[in-house]
Amino acid sequence: MPSSRTTALREAPSQAAASQEDLLTKRWGPAASTVVAATLMSLGLRRRSLGGTVVALASGALLYRGLHSRRRSLSTERRASTGEEARRVQFTQVEHTLTVGRPADVLYRLWSEPSTLSLLMAHFAEVTPTAGNGRHWRIHGPFGREVSWDSRLVEDRPPELHRWESTEDSPMKTRGWVRFKPAPSDWGTEVTLHLEFAPPGGAVAEALAKRMRGIPSMQVMKALRRFKSLAETGEIPTLDHNPSARVSAD
Amino acid sequence: MRALCWNGVNDLRVETVPDPEIVSPHDAILRVTMSTTCGSDLHFIDGYLPTMKAGDIIGHEFMGEVVEVGRDVRKVKKGDRVVVPSFIVCGNCWYCDHQLWSLCDNTNPKPEYQQVAFGYPSAGIYGYTHAFGGYAGAHAQFVRVPHADNDCFLVPGGLRDEQVLFLSDAAPTGYMGADFCDIQPGATIAVWGAGGVGLMAMRSAYLLGAERVIAVDRFPERLAMAERFTGAEALDYSQVESVVDVLREMTGGRGPDACIDAVGMEAHGTGPGYAYDRAKQALHLHSDRGQALREAILACRKGGTLSVLGVYGLMDKFPLGAIMNKGLTLRTAQQHGQKYMHRLLEHVVKGELDPSFLATHRFSLEDAPRGYELFKKKEDGCVRAVFTS
Repeated sequence: MPSSRTTALREAPSQAAASQEDLLTKRWGPAASTVVAATLMSLGLRRRSLGGTVVALASGALLYRGLHSRRRSLSTERRASTGEEARRVQFTQVEHTLTVGRPADVLYRLWSEPSTLSLLMAHFAEVTPTAGNGRHWRIHGPFGREVSWDSRLVEDRPPELHRWESTEDSPMKTRGWVRFKPAPSDWGTEVTLHLEFAPPGGAVAEALAKRMRGIPSMQVMKALRRFKSLAETGEIPTLDHNPSARVSAD
Repeated sequence: MRALCWNGVNDLRVETVPDPEIVSPHDAILRVTMSTTCGSDLHFIDGYLPTMKAGDIIGHEFMGEVVEVGRDVRKVKKGDRVVVPSFIVCGNCWYCDHQLWSLCDNTNPKPEYQQVAFGYPSAGIYGYTHAFGGYAGAHAQFVRVPHADNDCFLVPGGLRDEQVLFLSDAAPTGYMGADFCDIQPGATIAVWGAGGVGLMAMRSAYLLGAERVIAVDRFPERLAMAERFTGAEALDYSQVESVVDVLREMTGGRGPDACIDAVGMEAHGTGPGYAYDRAKQALHLHSDRGQALREAILACRKGGTLSVLGVYGLMDKFPLGAIMNKGLTLRTAQQHGQKYMHRLLEHVVKGELDPSFLATHRFSLEDAPRGYELFKKKEDGCVRAVFTS
């Protein structure tokens, strides 16, 4: 497989640390920045998976918040910069399209089913239905920590579009939509999934997310592929309980 | 259960691993009765094909007895004796609907690898790298077969395991390669590589109406086998100055109507082209040695067909100019076994095809590493080693 991405990822920690130097040195000092970079590198980047990415982002966010809250109790100055950061939240955007061999209305209904999102995201998140077509998202980070947030449906145009956003009080700012468009000939339906997210880690996670653009993109592609398989075959290809001489099956 | 595991480059060991389980509703579990080595396994055993993980169970050419089925399996039943194509297919997607089975969209749990390397992912294979799904392989006592109703083919009574085993991969791959040649009356087909797939391609070319088939290889016992079991004429490339010149002379100056490459990325050859490939591959500057394919391109008559069955990675130095200027048609695919299985079983039942001669050596599963060693080095006239558990 091509090695370019591996190389880029190897460079990531030092570059990430460098580009965020002004922020980090002022707030946490170089030691903390190293910890952040190292944690993210070891937990998420090296795995180069979607789950890994989210874990990396989430763990970065947790680390940030953990350190941040400790500092906040010592200094009121922090609050001002938190406000500043909130105003300049930048969303990382990912979009993929895949053709699925089923009619749009069938796919629209399948997507709306309460259990579907959880199946599509099973490799990195638990998604449970909440009142009024909302969803509760939960991602497990390392050391038994987790990030969770709620989303609500903000636009519903059967059988073409679902659009959702994280609720006001969610620590993770996300929004997204899925669109179903008839494909030519006997191909079925072109399904586009669009996701935007601004992880709670602020500038650090944001810089990281930018560097890892390829990974969330791959995760969205995989979620779409899982949706396609579910729609076309009633199951998602899996390596659960796949025998090998390793401890882990994948 | 016991299974043959890949633990690193040239490091195969039989180990005790967990038994497979039914995990999806369309799964079946097979007790493997016989499995066989494939030349394509050598590419990752030698370390040229990436995305293997230490501990992977290998093997993709097999048959067995159904011991358990998932709740949505309709046709396949416990106790059925079946042969299974190496590519896993769903039977529901656009590609399956169009008989392009190895391109199935729904059986590769790790599409990200091929999406990056090839643009789009193919179907999954048993025991053949994580780029092809990472599924546990079949050199084991048991194997999980997803989408069993589309992937298990009932073996007609009265046939021995060796007669059926190769319908899992070698026979349909060879048959497909001959089918690609669109054979017309009077056609001459040249086949590079007299291994399992090549020998099946030669026999299939005759079954599909070829007048002459020429086998290109350097191992006397394999060439003898080609003559004896398929009826092909033998051409030992190590004994001639130029394979291309000899083939031209053998075909009245026209060249073969179609050329089949059943060699792939670890071709052997002679001369500076081969030395160049060999050096680059050793330095990991590229993954492929493409001597056989280059010869096939040059040898093929104008307007002929090039049928590529050998497995390649990301080969450079590809004489596209010869293909373009001679107006060649390039046909290639990983095997669409589900398309050919019924036809092949019919040929075997009628006695028109008997692939059992490929099984030159037989081992117990416990001795599988020895089988691979013999197979890889082509010692003792080994064409295929088969394993029984």
